Amino acid sequence: MSTRIVVPSPRSINRSQLSYIRPHSPSGNIEVPKPAKIDRDNLVYESEGEIPKARKINLEHVHYLTPEPSVLEQNVHSPETPGTENFEPFAISADLEEKANNRIAQYPADQKRSAVLPLLHEVQHRFGFISPESIDWVAKKLDIAPIKVVEVVTFYPGFRQKAPGKLHFRVCRTLSCAMGGSYELMAKLCEATGIDRSSADGHKDPISVSPCGRYSVEYAECLASCGTAPVCLVNDDFHEGVAADKVQDLIAQYNG
Amino acid sequence: MSDITYLSGKEPHANEHRLIFKNVDRQGWDTSIDTYINDGGYEMLKKGLGMEPKAITEEVKTSGLRGRGGAGFPTGIKWGFIPPNNTKPVYLICNADESEPGTFKDRYICHQDPHQLIEGMIISSFAVGAHTAYIYIREEFPEAAITLEKAIAEAREKGFLGQNILGSGFDLEIYVHRGAAAYICGEETGLIESLEGKRPYPRIKPPYFPAAMGLYMAPTIVNNVESLCHVVHILRMGGEEYVKLGTPRNSGTRILCVSGDVKNPGYFEVQVGKVTFRELLYDMCGGPKDGREFKAVIPGGSSSKVLRCEESFKIGKGDDAKDLAFWDLPLDFDTLAAAGSMAGSGGVIVMDDSRRMSWVLNNITHFYAHESCGQCTPCREGSTWMKKVSDRIEEGKATPEDVKTLEEIAYQIDGKTVCAFGEASAWPVEAMVDKFREELVGETSEDNNFKSAERLEQEKFLSSSL
Repeated sequence: MSTRIVVPSPRSINRSQLSYIRPHSPSGNIEVPKPAKIDRDNLVYESEGEIPKARKINLEHVHYLTPEPSVLEQNVHSPETPGTENFEPFAISADLEEKANNRIAQYPADQKRSAVLPLLHEVQHRFGFISPESIDWVAKKLDIAPIKVVEVVTFYPGFRQKAPGKLHFRVCRTLSCAMGGSYELMAKLCEATGIDRSSADGHKDPISVSPCGRYSVEYAECLASCGTAPVCLVNDDFHEGVAADKVQDLIAQYNG
Repeated sequence: MSDITYLSGKEPHANEHRLIFKNVDRQGWDTSIDTYINDGGYEMLKKGLGMEPKAITEEVKTSGLRGRGGAGFPTGIKWGFIPPNNTKPVYLICNADESEPGTFKDRYICHQDPHQLIEGMIISSFAVGAHTAYIYIREEFPEAAITLEKAIAEAREKGFLGQNILGSGFDLEIYVHRGAAAYICGEETGLIESLEGKRPYPRIKPPYFPAAMGLYMAPTIVNNVESLCHVVHILRMGGEEYVKLGTPRNSGTRILCVSGDVKNPGYFEVQVGKVTFRELLYDMCGGPKDGREFKAVIPGGSSSKVLRCEESFKIGKGDDAKDLAFWDLPLDFDTLAAAGSMAGSGGVIVMDDSRRMSWVLNNITHFYAHESCGQCTPCREGSTWMKKVSDRIEEGKATPEDVKTLEEIAYQIDGKTVCAFGEASAWPVEAMVDKFREELVGETSEDNNFKSAERLEQEKFLSSSL
């Protein structure tokens, strides 16, 4: 049987024993080293009841509590989707570096952080979504902590952390388009592409991918073309006046 | 003007007065710089660079131009807020984050007439002394971002951008910065935070204007796309002449975007205040769809308060006060404010008698719950609550008490947040409940006993411990 123990915070810090957060690692946790020696008087027992102090502690039986996953670990992950195979895995190329440097040059030299959105757009455009590796790369490129990239990725609905389909449909959900029939458009799209949107959540997980990985859908908030409702974006192409009965034509444009 | 022809089916209505949209849907028009120059483009830039920067600001003040982004603040006055003893670099930002539901004017300027915007930006930058300007364009306009970058490159080639523009000694660079689908980036301090590479949490006020402290804590002027385009025309006509367009205190033209239940939705550039709802919705938009009647109108983007079509309003004060029916209201900033709503960004959303207001309200609350940035508690929590309560009403699971709750939540947000998003999310709910209370209450029932998943969870705990 093992005993669960809580190691008290040390009174003085022995720097040589500390391991620091790995630089530019989105999932960096402080790794507390196992103490070489355990001082029995300092041990705190977890149970409220009276547990006699053990006479002898067998280090092999001591289990350390595993830390809860950090906020970073919870937010920096790219779940596999059927669409993953549509995109190359993230890789740094000379071309990417050059594009990134041009973007960074748009901002004052001491304000490189401004380029975080343009760089993420560049990554998402090439690799389909923002992967943990790409967050590391952007952070290094801009000399900022990875968390500052993560906070941006997780805030903006324009950045996605999982692969969409090869054809990503963004249907406008907002008032004028809804009056023009965008809910019906979405239903028809899902029907035609075999997408199940039942688990979609507008906030946390807006994108639904078809089992074949070719299509994905998402609701967008106002695409600013209310006069030609309902409208949608297919990847970067804008389509207006897409009534629900035109779904087959719309898809056929890309499959022809 | 007479030699301009438009694509068939897209001709402007006789009531229109096209300045900004002169080239939208124009026959033989494209986005290249040569087309623009052949039409007299960039002449005003030459004129502007020959003037004193202060004189341009004065012209804009004389013109009475009010910002077209939503708040209607006078553009010239805004420019004047840059501290006179400023030593930091000044920035100009064009707010092309057009995301107010119901508004779709900037889309056409950015896609079809990018050089007009760029000329307006160069003149405005010269007037305020900015040497770097950014166009913050929403992510949903990928094509426009490319069009604008191409236009900037063309203008650079012709010497309208870069070092020593046209030998005037004035330097300017314009860059395009794409947003990432967040409505809050339309708020000017949120936009600035976003441009700095952060989450777009609007900044606390004061300072009330980024002109004092904006991008990188330097003086910054943020103007809407349409406002910046107007600067070109103010320079061409002169402020004195421009102010004659429209009505007093509401000068110039503005683009009204009509969507929803009308026969011919679309964009109409009219003199401010010269067109009433009757003219706009019946004459210009062809009236209601067959067999339908107009019910309600949202006059200035989804954040503005809804108006009922059979309402009448007392406009003006003292002896000038007069009663105006909804249909006779002119669409200008002051009248709509007096009617308890706002002209906002010019997005007119029309609903006919086939629409259930609970459904409309539900759609709007979903938008604001999605777009709240989460910085201030009343708005973050309140917008989600409003969404949940309006879900219940829409699904017919609510009690009459819920309508009251909805209203109370809205008043708890209004005026209690860092930025105007609080009002933007609360006003439509307040107005919708106020003006359609009977209809909303009619969809509820005393017998309903809706319990949310959270409530059921709580009850489990309560009954076991009692």
